[in-house]
Amino acid sequence: MAEDLVLDTAIRDWVLIPLSVVMVLIGILRYFVSKLMRSSQVPDPKIVKEGQVIVRARNLRAAANFIPPKSFRSRRVYFSNEENGLLFVPKGQAQNAQAQMFSDPNMAMDMMKKNLSMIIPQTLTFAWVNFFFSGFVAAKIPFPLTQRFRSMLQNGIDLSTVDVSYVSSRSWYFLNLFGLRGLFSLILGEENATDDTQRMMQMSGFGFDPSKQCATCYCAATIFCASDFCAAWVPDSYRNFSQCFSQDHQSLGAEKDGLDIVQHEWALPKFEHRAEAVLRKLTM
Amino acid sequence: MVSKTEETQLNRLENQVDNGGGGAWEYLCLVRKLKVRRSEKVLKHGLSILNDPKKRSALGPEEWTLYEQVAIAAMDCQCLDVAKDCIKVLQKKFPESKRVGRLNGMLLEAKGSWAEAEKAYSSLLEDNSLDQIIHKRRIAMAKAQGNISEAIELLNKYLEIFMADHEAWREQAELYVSLQMYKQAAFCYEELILSQPTVPLYHLAYADVLYTLGGLENLQTAKKYYASTIDLTGGKNTRALFGICLCISAIAQVSKGRNKEDKESPELQSLAATALEKDYKQRAANKLGLLTCSLRSLKN
Repeated sequence: MAEDLVLDTAIRDWVLIPLSVVMVLIGILRYFVSKLMRSSQVPDPKIVKEGQVIVRARNLRAAANFIPPKSFRSRRVYFSNEENGLLFVPKGQAQNAQAQMFSDPNMAMDMMKKNLSMIIPQTLTFAWVNFFFSGFVAAKIPFPLTQRFRSMLQNGIDLSTVDVSYVSSRSWYFLNLFGLRGLFSLILGEENATDDTQRMMQMSGFGFDPSKQCATCYCAATIFCASDFCAAWVPDSYRNFSQCFSQDHQSLGAEKDGLDIVQHEWALPKFEHRAEAVLRKLTM
Repeated sequence: MVSKTEETQLNRLENQVDNGGGGAWEYLCLVRKLKVRRSEKVLKHGLSILNDPKKRSALGPEEWTLYEQVAIAAMDCQCLDVAKDCIKVLQKKFPESKRVGRLNGMLLEAKGSWAEAEKAYSSLLEDNSLDQIIHKRRIAMAKAQGNISEAIELLNKYLEIFMADHEAWREQAELYVSLQMYKQAAFCYEELILSQPTVPLYHLAYADVLYTLGGLENLQTAKKYYASTIDLTGGKNTRALFGICLCISAIAQVSKGRNKEDKESPELQSLAATALEKDYKQRAANKLGLLTCSLRSLKN
């Protein structure tokens, strides 16, 4: 069934381009609204201290071989001894990351606000697209697809004989949703609130599903922008997670285990030989 | 710590601006980015930009950062009127700002009214007890008043929370050394080595402190750290070379009776001596005689 449908150029002028422009504008609007609504967070001293402790423990682990063995051992005891070691967490206190997050009212409010600022524009735009731009073929995807995508990509088109490559405007909407992330990071700078995809990953990580479309978005993401996604997601989400989670007790325990494993092997004696070699070369 | 390329760039820009070649704004931005302390130049060139209304409006929103930078430079050069004017402008623009509050505190410090500055800083700390810069200002105030032990105490409290701040550890080490508390200073230098193991400066300072502490074990460790400094600097650090010679002779003196010579690096002393002589021949030939005499006396 590979007959070529000829699509009117008016579709390009009046559907594809306006839809993209509208999504860019909505993204910019959300960025400024989020900037206005952002409440300045007073950092919690305990969390700051834990973060610093982790950095110091990590330094100790990394450069352990540069200090004398006695100093290393005394520091290791300071960090991981049973009574008041900095990294030691008694078993009862190790909490689940999510539980800790929900028990903190401020953080929960913040998450709610951020989620809402994402859900509402998405819902509205999706409804608008469905209302105005459904029932016709909008674009042709340049590569062939299997029949399984028909239900997702060809929503308004009720003909089952049309090639799956011809998609409706709803799929153009999804494409823009995930694809404009790069554009936004160019024009709005790094930390922009339009980074929906990582927040959606967070939500799906909890088993949340505030709206059905997020589930389909999840599927669409893996199809449309899989590689772009993973490459940018890992550092983004790491940053985002670290704001909420990494100062929790699990990483303290991880650092403690890592520190316990380290075998100290003092690297300095061999520096003497190296210094000799250097000087020999210098005085040659 | 400023790298060599950045330093050459900075000096080049400085020469350019000094000789009237323009580029003052880039110079000021670089100084701000590298956090170097060139207050006179910053004051001169910053004021030249700020007093020229055309150039000032060309800066746009960066104008306020420049006001802050010039205010701090003015306080450093004791031009308190200039500083007060800049702060007044900033206060008018940002009435409820913590940054401007901090500048006011610094102005009180510069005037010498320690009690009022302390009051200002405490009230700022009440709003945000985790403001690192305000903590550091209080420590600097204690140090400026000559109250080193209080400065050490405040710095210890600061380091209990912000223990990953290696600049603070460095300051702590220098404070301890000034009070001759060498064991504690050694601890601080160990922290510095842990956080930045490839910076030869910390190895050298640690070796100095260990050598000053004395005792056979410390001297041997100091020798190792002098050696690592030599390795990290490619043999160019004169102080480390001297350190090696002194350490080896001190070890020989301490272990005179016992036969506990380490045969690890027998040639190190002669090599270090040769390297020193070569260095002196190049740079200070008239002092070479002095050097050979003192080295010979060390060997005996």
